[in-house]
Amino acid sequence: MRRVAVIGVGVTKFGKHERSSAELFAEAAREALADAEVAPGAVQALYYGNVVGGETEKQLHTGPQAASVLGIPAVPTTRFETACASSHAAFRHAVMEIAAGVSDVVLVGGAERVLNVPTPDSTAYFAYASDARWEQSVGLTFPGVFALIARAHMARHGTTEEQMAHVAVKNHRHGALNPKAQFRKEITVEQVLSSAYVADPLKLYDCCPFTDGGAAVVLASEEVARRHRRPVWVLASAAASDSMLMQDKRDLSRVPATERAAAAAYRQAGLGPRDVDVVELHDCFTIAEIVATEGLGLFEPGAGGAAAEKGLTSLGGTVPVNPSGGLKAKGHPIGATGAAQVAEIVAQLRGEAGARQVDGARIGLTHTLGGNTATVLVSLFGRE
Amino acid sequence: MSEPATLGEFFAGAGRGTLAALRCGGCGELSLPPREFCPACGARAWQPTPLGGEGEIVSFTIIRVPPAPLAGTAPYAVAVVRLREGVSLLGRVVDIPLDRLAVGLPVRFRPLTLQGQTAIGFGPA
Repeated sequence: MRRVAVIGVGVTKFGKHERSSAELFAEAAREALADAEVAPGAVQALYYGNVVGGETEKQLHTGPQAASVLGIPAVPTTRFETACASSHAAFRHAVMEIAAGVSDVVLVGGAERVLNVPTPDSTAYFAYASDARWEQSVGLTFPGVFALIARAHMARHGTTEEQMAHVAVKNHRHGALNPKAQFRKEITVEQVLSSAYVADPLKLYDCCPFTDGGAAVVLASEEVARRHRRPVWVLASAAASDSMLMQDKRDLSRVPATERAAAAAYRQAGLGPRDVDVVELHDCFTIAEIVATEGLGLFEPGAGGAAAEKGLTSLGGTVPVNPSGGLKAKGHPIGATGAAQVAEIVAQLRGEAGARQVDGARIGLTHTLGGNTATVLVSLFGRE
Repeated sequence: MSEPATLGEFFAGAGRGTLAALRCGGCGELSLPPREFCPACGARAWQPTPLGGEGEIVSFTIIRVPPAPLAGTAPYAVAVVRLREGVSLLGRVVDIPLDRLAVGLPVRFRPLTLQGQTAIGFGPA
């Protein structure tokens, strides 16, 4: 298999936009192509993530639409839908296309438009990633899914609402340093704890926002990447799945797909959790970050809450998590999130992350979760 | 061996107050329909097996921001309940005050009608 590198990244401002998801992707892709110093005509394939376009924009076939708006309509394009992990799934398949020798330059990314519909509607569309007959039928929402995980984690490990609040406070502190973040204001533990319950025990400030935005990365074969100033190498990209239904999970305090994807990624790269300098992971809810840090092997099962409270995952901590602000503060345009996480890790490994730079970062990890923890992807990155 | 139940058959039974799981003739694993192959051993040797409907709450939440189709019905409780036979079901919890909900609380299955169809519910044991 051939080595693959990221040679360009681009991200729109996250937040509310008045443009279509295809336009948002095109802006991010233009930035990524400029960063890569690659002409649009050199792109040989587009792997694209978009989730709820069929509902919020009444638009299917969003892959070719995005390629058309970007101005590369003849390029083979495939849209991926693995709920919130869509553009990370797209990324992994693009890596395989280059590794297999099929293409030398592939564009990956995604976009989402969701703030153009009322919150009860977007809440319903996101819940489509839960099972229709078993779960949507009783009114389970996504905050509800992670509330079930939170309650189980609290019961098994003694994790507290205050420990979860520390995740939100930390990610807002990081997001304040990120010009592209949706929320750039710091918050306090007291503000989190006094915010309204959305799905007990999760409160408003435990939840990431609805977000419009786009992200893109340019991947290249080693031969092409060698001509580039500062390639960031893809050391591993692994996927794992798990049972779709919450009722089929043996232990709600764990995410086995994270554990399996992480094990596969570490094996591919010949690395372990102690080698990782910086992490962008899927903190759609504060408890999701705690469980992910455990599943990735950064902390023992049950130790993630205390680690967050002690500041171990903060910038300056032992393993900085979500220096971008994460989904919580940077925002979560679901089809774009996986690519946006790659963009942050690439900035970190190039040493271009400015005020939120993790000093001397050499190895980075991205982790993206889809649906009821049924899809997880983990990728590892390194500089030369 | 009979054919495994369909999703529609499971909920038709649930609507009449009857729950039926599938037990794997290969390894004994309990599963809920629809399922072709046993996730534990790969066999396709399902035997229908009745469930008593008694269990205890494994985890629960109170939904306060509902999806659009359920506007105006919040707050409501959703729980994962581990049934005595060892298989779990997700359902609404009704007729138990929200501040009495707890992990380990015994509950009993009851059919509900939500959004025009049979849904899984639990009430006091």
